[in-house]
Amino acid sequence: MNTLRARQLVEAGLLLRLSGDTPGAEKLFVRALELDPANARARQLLTLGGSASAAPANAAAPDLEGDWGAWADAASPGPAEPLPESVNLPEGTGTPGDALDLIAEAHRTQEFGLPESFSGTGPLPQGSEVETLLQGAEDLLTLDDHSGAVDLLRRAQSLAPEDPRVEALRDRSERILVGMLEARLGDLNRMPRVRLQPDDIIWLNLDHRAGFVLAQIDGAVSFDDLFALSGMSRLDTARILAQLLDEGIIAPGESPVSTRGG
Amino acid sequence: MAESGPLIGIDLGTTNSLVATVQDGQPLIIKNRTGVPLTPSVVAVSKNGKRLVGGIAKRQAITNPQDTVSAAKRLIGRKFSSHPVQDALRALTYQVVCGAHDDVRIRLAGRDLAVPEVSAMILAELKADAEAHFGRPVTQAVITVPAYFNDGQRQATKDAGRIAGLEVLRIINEPTAAALAYGFGRTVNGKIAVLDLGGGTFDVSVLEINNGIFDVVATGGDTFLGGEDWDHRIIEWMVFGFAKEHGIDLRKDRMALQRLKDAAEKAKVELSSVKETQVHLPFICTPPGGGAALHLQSTLTREKLEDLTADLGERLVGITSEVLGEAKVRPSDLKEVILVGGMSRMPRIVEQVRQYFRREPCKGVHAEEVVALGAAIQAHALVAQEGELLLLDVTPQSMGVAIAGGYVRRLIPRNTTVPTSATEVFATSKDFQRTVKIMVLQGEHELAHHNELLGEFLLTGLREAPRGQVEIEVTFDINAEGIVSVSARDRDTGLRQSITVTASSGLTEDELRRIMDEQRDWLVTARASEELKTRRVELDILARDLVDALSRVRLLPGAGGLSPDVVTRAEQALDQARQVRGGEDVGALTRACEALSQSLPLLRSASPRGTPGR
Repeated sequence: MNTLRARQLVEAGLLLRLSGDTPGAEKLFVRALELDPANARARQLLTLGGSASAAPANAAAPDLEGDWGAWADAASPGPAEPLPESVNLPEGTGTPGDALDLIAEAHRTQEFGLPESFSGTGPLPQGSEVETLLQGAEDLLTLDDHSGAVDLLRRAQSLAPEDPRVEALRDRSERILVGMLEARLGDLNRMPRVRLQPDDIIWLNLDHRAGFVLAQIDGAVSFDDLFALSGMSRLDTARILAQLLDEGIIAPGESPVSTRGG
Repeated sequence: MAESGPLIGIDLGTTNSLVATVQDGQPLIIKNRTGVPLTPSVVAVSKNGKRLVGGIAKRQAITNPQDTVSAAKRLIGRKFSSHPVQDALRALTYQVVCGAHDDVRIRLAGRDLAVPEVSAMILAELKADAEAHFGRPVTQAVITVPAYFNDGQRQATKDAGRIAGLEVLRIINEPTAAALAYGFGRTVNGKIAVLDLGGGTFDVSVLEINNGIFDVVATGGDTFLGGEDWDHRIIEWMVFGFAKEHGIDLRKDRMALQRLKDAAEKAKVELSSVKETQVHLPFICTPPGGGAALHLQSTLTREKLEDLTADLGERLVGITSEVLGEAKVRPSDLKEVILVGGMSRMPRIVEQVRQYFRREPCKGVHAEEVVALGAAIQAHALVAQEGELLLLDVTPQSMGVAIAGGYVRRLIPRNTTVPTSATEVFATSKDFQRTVKIMVLQGEHELAHHNELLGEFLLTGLREAPRGQVEIEVTFDINAEGIVSVSARDRDTGLRQSITVTASSGLTEDELRRIMDEQRDWLVTARASEELKTRRVELDILARDLVDALSRVRLLPGAGGLSPDVVTRAEQALDQARQVRGGEDVGALTRACEALSQSLPLLRSASPRGTPGR
């Protein structure tokens, strides 16, 4: 069973790598090796990707430190339940009771994983690319790689647009991912501004969609407004804004005194 | 009239709107909450269901064309089946459907809205801007409309004001407002021309000013000529240049097109004050085969812009000449020429107007602001009862009845002060005619079918007699509220029939009340949602700080000397915050914020040495 699942993860990882999500792909190869240490292909792909040094433990590190908003949207707060086995905090990271512990605790309340109707541990029909992608997405979710999971699920949905499992998982993953990205942006009423001069901007490595969003940022529109005027989905816009913020291209700016009436 | 609060004048334009007031005796424009005087007359519902008004709606117009409404003024108060609406439909990107009374309905985010509803959203935005300026509610306004608007269109504009929560003190003509802003009510006696080149329309009006009375003697123009035509020429130039260089047609990409449109408008405005400008659009598109995104960089000179738009300028002069010709007014008859609208700042246009009229046109520093300023002056005069500036309520267009041969007999000429009445005697046009149909018309055209039909009724039971021998007395009565009563009486028999015509926007009173209720509900919901959002942001910030503080305390020896109770309470506060954050209960969010706020200073008082720092 582990061998089959590892093979599926390698395939999903390859798809992710093709779509440009190398870290997401590496996480899947690492997971495949965890399940099937004899999987030579996974090992080879990891080495080829220059990630031989990325030990499984490190690859699984959640990047949510301090991300209150990332888990705050959880619908079922309830008492904390044991973590799913597949969610492993990196060994030797932090001490019991520190911030990471808190974040891990927060994850317990989050709607990670597959819908109840979909058994992630049960046997999957073989040979279906959709199943492979679902499996990969599930594993990425357990590794907190929502971005990679959403990419796989989008691909799965393009192959099986009517599949309720794909749709449910994609909806849920996107919602969580949007929450995480918005948390990175902070107060959405703040009006970001561009930090670079026009002459410097042209040297950035952006696509036309990021270029469009960047062009709308003038210090007078809020993050919230940008979601409305981007013409893209909330997730895509949030991804772009988070990228621009992370790369220091924009600064979050100030909150307006009063918000627009719309 | 209600007790006098702040008064505003609103220029509700096809493309842009402005709000002004008179403060300390000086008219001034109220900037909107983004700090600019112009608010685009655009309303949209974004993909995430948010209602957008003004600049933000305009900026997503191309990427979200189906749910973005612009130029609603072209449709307001008109019948769906009318020629102007059918013409306008060809240029609209949003869906328009026919209402129950042949009125126009705009489909926005799955809902069919009456046009006054859409205009009300813009008015409400301007009202909110004014309230932000004054720091208190604003409820009274004067709104301007084009001189050619009929009663139905004026009533629809009034209805829009009502929906927005405004008492519309008066509807005045845009050219009159412009003339008022220049103080011409006091300083000029004679004819003046007002050339208003806005974003989407060009209106030419000739006014006769006589001791403070403003009489619109001629109006005309082109309802599809405006600043956007200049923008399109710049866009075409940019698109062509890019296609030549990269072989890519940018018009196929909505995002690129939106950026081109914004850049074109910016370049056009800049070229009114400088001789050349840089157009710089990085990452405008990604090549079809993939690869690095391409940039658009070019320099546009004023000379090039004038070259690209030479024919538009000529059209402008041609239309002006036509309107003056029809009114039998020579340029030399005019005492003044006023240029209105942002486009009239373009040096080439000023030059063309100067050449045609052989005089220097009046153009204030901000030609797009004069109409709103004039409206504010009128609002102030209405309440202050400054007689010399007080415009009288007049009939905007002539009224009359259809007569034999398909012609119109005017009983009440345009610009007649209301209340008023007029009576005229007509005779039968056919032998032994037993019935006469009275068709009440409004408009200036000699042919009946070119005028607006306000209503019709039959007078029956006439005496059988050769034509011309039965006399029918027709009386028009217009009361102070603008309600028109028309009666017809057979002078022989005394038989009488009448009709009352109330200017209608296409909405019934019930519909109007329903819309106003909905608008009120929406405002309440919007405010609640705003508060919810603010509380969530506050909660997020506090929670993040508390998580940080808690992490620090856990790393300190002996928990920084804090009692276990403090840490437990902080954890409980966090738990409570998690539980309520996703909910809609503002009270619960507020309480959770309070709990976090109480725990935070306690945790921060932890001492690195293990004893409390307090």
